[in-house]
Amino acid sequence: MAGSNEVNLNECKMVVPLNTWVLISSFKLAYNLLRRPDGTFNRHLAEFLDRKVPANLNPVDGVFSFDVLIDRATGLLCRIYRPATAEEPEPNIVELEKPVVGDVVPVIIFFHGGSFAHSSANSAIYDTLCRRLVGICKAVVVSVNYRRAPENRYPCAYDDGWTAFKWVNSRSWLQSRKDSKVHIYLAGDSSGGNIAHHVAARAVESGIDVLGNILLNPMFGGQERTESEKRLDGKYFVTLRDRDWYWRAFLPEGENRDHPACNPFGPNGRSLEGIKFPKSLVVVAGLDLIQDWQLAYVEGLRKAGKEVKLLYMEQATIGFYLLPNNNHFHTVMDEISEFVSSDC
Amino acid sequence: MLRYDSTSSSAGSSSGSLSSSSSSSKPPQQDIDGLLAGAGYKVRSSELRQVAQRLERLETAMGNSPADFSQLASDAILYNPSDLACWVDSLLTEFAEPPPTCSSDFIVDPVNNQTVVNSAWTAAEPHTPQVHQNITYDEQQSLDNQLTVVTAMEEDSGIRLVHMLMTCAECVQSGDLSLATSLIDDMQGLLTHVNTVCGIGKVAGHFIDALSRRIFQGMGGGSVNGGSAFENEILYHHFYEACPYLKFAHFTANQAILEAFDGHDCVHVVDFNLMHGLQWPALIQALALRPGGPPLLRLTGIGPPSPDGRDSLREIGLRLAELARSVNVRFAFRGVAASRLEDVKPWMLQVNPKEAVAVNSIMQLHRLLGCEQTRDSPIDTVLSWIRGLNPKIMTVVEQEANHNQPGFLDRFTEALYYYSTMFDSLEACRIQPEKALAEIYIQREIGNVVSCEGSARVERHEPLAKWRRRLSGAGFRALRLGSNAFKQASMLLTLFSAEGYSVEENEGCLSLGWHSSPLIAASAWQAVPAWDNHMSSS
Repeated sequence: MAGSNEVNLNECKMVVPLNTWVLISSFKLAYNLLRRPDGTFNRHLAEFLDRKVPANLNPVDGVFSFDVLIDRATGLLCRIYRPATAEEPEPNIVELEKPVVGDVVPVIIFFHGGSFAHSSANSAIYDTLCRRLVGICKAVVVSVNYRRAPENRYPCAYDDGWTAFKWVNSRSWLQSRKDSKVHIYLAGDSSGGNIAHHVAARAVESGIDVLGNILLNPMFGGQERTESEKRLDGKYFVTLRDRDWYWRAFLPEGENRDHPACNPFGPNGRSLEGIKFPKSLVVVAGLDLIQDWQLAYVEGLRKAGKEVKLLYMEQATIGFYLLPNNNHFHTVMDEISEFVSSDC
Repeated sequence: MLRYDSTSSSAGSSSGSLSSSSSSSKPPQQDIDGLLAGAGYKVRSSELRQVAQRLERLETAMGNSPADFSQLASDAILYNPSDLACWVDSLLTEFAEPPPTCSSDFIVDPVNNQTVVNSAWTAAEPHTPQVHQNITYDEQQSLDNQLTVVTAMEEDSGIRLVHMLMTCAECVQSGDLSLATSLIDDMQGLLTHVNTVCGIGKVAGHFIDALSRRIFQGMGGGSVNGGSAFENEILYHHFYEACPYLKFAHFTANQAILEAFDGHDCVHVVDFNLMHGLQWPALIQALALRPGGPPLLRLTGIGPPSPDGRDSLREIGLRLAELARSVNVRFAFRGVAASRLEDVKPWMLQVNPKEAVAVNSIMQLHRLLGCEQTRDSPIDTVLSWIRGLNPKIMTVVEQEANHNQPGFLDRFTEALYYYSTMFDSLEACRIQPEKALAEIYIQREIGNVVSCEGSARVERHEPLAKWRRRLSGAGFRALRLGSNAFKQASMLLTLFSAEGYSVEENEGCLSLGWHSSPLIAASAWQAVPAWDNHMSSS
């Protein structure tokens, strides 16, 4: 059987702090309980186990949040995070959509990770991450609660991303004063990074500008087994087997991993040459078994003449950005801040 | 629809004047790992290593028999996922793995910043203060100051209406009744331009009416709920049919009661508000199917007296007895007629010391919260005698809302958003007259929250966090509702065509909400034995 089912516990203990190890291991454990061999997913247990937090109109560390139902038909919710201003430290509950103040106000549309199947916009870990992004980027963050696999396969997540994108782009209260346009960045981790790429592609096709893509450990793959997949299988919280399960759950039935959703620069992919694709910041963890696909993605962007900055964090594992207790975390946050603020 | 859990206007004042402080019973919070708390997990820093070891053990066990593991997932009942140590342990117990001999792998060297070569863990970076680092899950702090809003895109006039409602409420609070009155007129005019069939227009109409009543009747006026007990029962029944809130309440409570009654041959349920007894057929049937056979079931139903000479309590009791007979469950019923719950005395319930008692309160406890926090307030009296019964379980379901704040504007605002959300969820109901009557049911609640005061205002809803403190302070400890209850509640919801309802788990309690807003919360409690209780009783 390709890959090893044995989990080599010793190695991942060497590289992450104790509380990170506990966090990611408990996710891993929980996720193993949820994936069934027949491809179905124990959704009830997943929702029971997921730690969620409500939105909070009272600013916490200068950030407040509220939920918006942007598409009744699909029940698409987004959580919006805004900085509390000095003039209005306690937001008026009736005027949540008060116009943003500033010549240039970045709006980051964020897609949470979870391999297309897990987590929600109101998962505690992602609520924390989005709040952080508001602070470091002085941005409004819109976190999209997209429909998940296996109940909702491709292209539901992308469609929801696109719906959210159009909604954000059409909010007059999100427009920057300088040009009365909404300055949109797309960001996401794991499956969210994958969604960000595809939504960006659709946006530029429709003639709407995206100022930048931020992809944290984005989830890509392909039919071939790469060197990193073979070398790192089972070593740092993740196995090839679970990666395969998630692709099978997300991609249309009968499709393999060379489907362009999974492998955008693969045999069925499409070149981005001549398309005004935004600049990208791609973060790759050196201990992530799918890094060869992520690096191939970066290469694909470069070959098509697109601006891309690669941050290769050698000793980082998946999920390093969830807790602010390691150097990779701070480096990446600084880079993200720089990436967004360089738009003037 | 706009939904809003208001903050207390001055931080710290909302803890009320519980006669016994809850702080002495709380474990120390300062040892909790702040970063994991931010991720939703409560783990003591001092226990991290142990938790890690147990996780490892579980992973190893999992590797050995993956098929068992996914079966485990379907069968195991898990509780309180926030308490990671406990959760991992319960899984380990399922696997019955013998503990390995102590390994020397787990050497943490937090003192040095360098990674010690033989250490299995990297030393943590020095903790610089970070966002959320210092968050503790002390409910007292976090939930008192929480505001949540779910909004759907509304037309401008809808927003304007909300604006005006708020301004009007503010005028009422400050006593500027002439301005308030003219606002009422303006709003009624605006209503003609807004869709009042659904959305904010509909619920705004009810709030305008309630405000209007408050202004024109003066403070302290307003009848309790309007309508007779008979009418109320009809409305309640339609509310039950039109949306899942009451079904969720009954279902979740019954599940917990069934589990609490396990192994007991004589059981006694005390229902604080019998109504049509809708909750009990399911429990009777579940007890009938219990392995080992059903117990002797006594049901004591409390309800208002019937003015017209009928004994409606007895009628319900007879119907339930009929059902019990048909499934061979020995059953006895007793009705206790009382206009107010605080008029009920424990001797009226005739509890037998040998029985396992379940006290069931579906949206009744809040009615006991007088706005005066006196020493012998009704809630304290009632909780005290409940405790005296030493029930095996007390099931409590309450509206997840903060409608008992002293400030009128805060209360009004909170209610506006809460009931907007509830009405929004009702849009999904297609059956009539259930939907229309359910709306009247809700409308009456709105009327009570907004236009009544003093003893007339009985809809004094408080959020789960407050109930937790209150009940802990009164000598109760929480029994956790687990993943099986969660799953069954979720499955119940899928029977409804409306997508949008969601069940959430919150430290052993379950709540049902519309989209991301919880509207009703269910919890289960047990009396702490007197010799365990270090708190002074009131």
